Amino acid sequence: MASRHEGYRRLCRRKVLFIAGFMILTAVVAIFSLNVGFYETSFSQVFDVIWSNLNGQPVSSRQDQLIIWDIRVPEALVAIMTGAALSVGGAVMQTVLRNPLADSYTMGISSGAFFGVTIAAIAGISILPGVGGNLATVFNAFICSLIPVALILLISRKRRMTPTKIILIGIAIMYVFSAVSTLLMLTADSETLADVYAWRVGTLSQVEWGHVGIIFVFVTLGLIYLMLNNKKYNLMMAGENCAQTMGIDTKRTTLTSLSIVSLVTAAVVSFTGTIGFIGLVGPHIARIFVGSESKYLIPASAAFGAAFLLVADCVSRVSGTYGLPVGVISAMIGCPLFIIILVKMRSKEWA
Amino acid sequence: MNTVKRTEDIDFKQNYKREITKKVSFVVCSLVVLVVLAVLSCAIGTGYGFFETYQIILDHIMGVVPANKAEWWADHYVWENVLPSVVAAIIAGAGLALGGSVMQSMMGNPLADPYTTGISSGACFGAVASITLGLSFSSLGGEMGIVAMAFVGALVPALMMILLSKYINTSPSTLILIGTAISYFFNAMVTYVMVIADADALQDAFIWQIGAVSDLHWSDIPLMLCVVAIGSVLIMVVSNKLNLMMMGDNSAKTMGLDVENFRMLCLILISILVASIISFTGIIGFVGLIAPHITRFIIGGDNKFVVPAGMLMGAIILCLADLASRCLLDYGNVPIGVVMSFIGAPVFLYLVTRSKSDKEVF
Repeated sequence: MASRHEGYRRLCRRKVLFIAGFMILTAVVAIFSLNVGFYETSFSQVFDVIWSNLNGQPVSSRQDQLIIWDIRVPEALVAIMTGAALSVGGAVMQTVLRNPLADSYTMGISSGAFFGVTIAAIAGISILPGVGGNLATVFNAFICSLIPVALILLISRKRRMTPTKIILIGIAIMYVFSAVSTLLMLTADSETLADVYAWRVGTLSQVEWGHVGIIFVFVTLGLIYLMLNNKKYNLMMAGENCAQTMGIDTKRTTLTSLSIVSLVTAAVVSFTGTIGFIGLVGPHIARIFVGSESKYLIPASAAFGAAFLLVADCVSRVSGTYGLPVGVISAMIGCPLFIIILVKMRSKEWA
Repeated sequence: MNTVKRTEDIDFKQNYKREITKKVSFVVCSLVVLVVLAVLSCAIGTGYGFFETYQIILDHIMGVVPANKAEWWADHYVWENVLPSVVAAIIAGAGLALGGSVMQSMMGNPLADPYTTGISSGACFGAVASITLGLSFSSLGGEMGIVAMAFVGALVPALMMILLSKYINTSPSTLILIGTAISYFFNAMVTYVMVIADADALQDAFIWQIGAVSDLHWSDIPLMLCVVAIGSVLIMVVSNKLNLMMMGDNSAKTMGLDVENFRMLCLILISILVASIISFTGIIGFVGLIAPHITRFIIGGDNKFVVPAGMLMGAIILCLADLASRCLLDYGNVPIGVVMSFIGAPVFLYLVTRSKSDKEVF
């Protein structure tokens, strides 16, 4: 008995170690990332700028202040939060819908947000009156990305919902939105098209301090809620009937989780564009290392997602003259990494 | 006791027969609807009457020589200008729906579609590389160069998967995940090429991606037709095995099916099938995913019927989209995929919410 207990302890310790390792990695890369970019800086400069800003003292060099404090620090913070949010969103979606192909965008959030952006950029329509420019894009994206999930909630009041049905409804709505967006894109001139296209790929280079606060509130509250529900998700994995026998209102849990994930994802996507890949693959990589127990899977996904997106962002900043979008870089690094991990581990988590 | 059992037996048999009759009649009805839609699409495309168009097509097929100049023109107009895109829509719809139903049964996943293994993104990368970088095979230039590059590109993900299959466990979820990862990778490459290309090349590439049948000619048809015909016959032959696959890997193995090899064979077949379609038409989404689902809502999940009925359903959907874009919109400028999503997605949404759970397969 004692040895079995010991074995379990060791397993748990390994999982915690994985999570802690990636958290530390995130912190290290975050500090390192403040030095990455075209404008050369040294660690002492970075330290100076951050120290002065935290103490409320003026910084000696205005250029340092601008590049480090106003551009790189918010970018790193948003990269961490975005990676964590998308990855955890994917983990929860995969668990709740019991489908390894689900990710944060399965509910049609990305196409909804993209629709909002295209009507703002091409047709010049703002859903909230009296808002213009970049702000209109953000608001449009946020509001439109929540339409699919609202529709699913509406339908679920009348009809019985199975995971398959939810997925199929999400896909149908996604196709309607992307049809409209495509139609609009066909009427656009090639310059606007390039802009809209860039948004779709997702980039972190547009973020400002103002965005950090909003994203922070959504992401923290969302992750705390999802983490508090981790026991329910474990039971959901066992199947709907099983979970119901254990006293869980599966319909309610599914729908509230979907809503929370959608809200968090929408908040992130409106500012960064649809950064793909990490939401799907992040949780799978975490699952290969820590298993499917949500208590470990959620923080592990968050830690891995944050570290991964941060690294991808650093690479994207030094690649080429204008820098490739972070979505592109994450797929380019992530795909080979994922295949290598699958080959090495011969994982059977879903089979 | 014995007599009771026998009447139950007879009841059961009759019920089964009735079910089969229902399914067969659904297939036959779909076929009739498809022919009517195709002729209607031609009629609207040319402006002739429905029966007139029907007569023209029939005459041409029967080899009746046009009597006068007007008839010759009518024949030429219907046969050369309108019919190729209608036929292409039918073949593409059928082929993509076939790919979708095989992929969904084989992977046991309702989210799977013919592009799940990354075929579309590979084709896209080939085409985009050809458009923006001018890459091609030495002897093929222009349009055919793009087609050839798209075809080769489409087969790359499948090839990667076959090479990898020795080193990973080939459970459906792993295959799907690898396919999705590969498709993300190629999408990223496409984006990379597009970022370094100028805005005009980007627009060309974007238009290729959406998928259209309006600019196809007879010379594009034979390859598509042959591959889809051969593919559908092969799949029909193994449809019983697909039914076994839907019960899950373990059950299928118990029934004596070599699951891993069968899955890889199906993957290769579907890849070639889909590659030969989309290298001519571009990426037509949606139909491959929803045609099998709609068919299953109506006739249940037996692949012996889902495969042919799904193909007909796919052809009908794409034909209908072609027809709608001829009636309602500026034909040729609005791609068929967009029209299809516009009309198809709400209908699909309605069907999903209405569907009874006993017809639900996944």
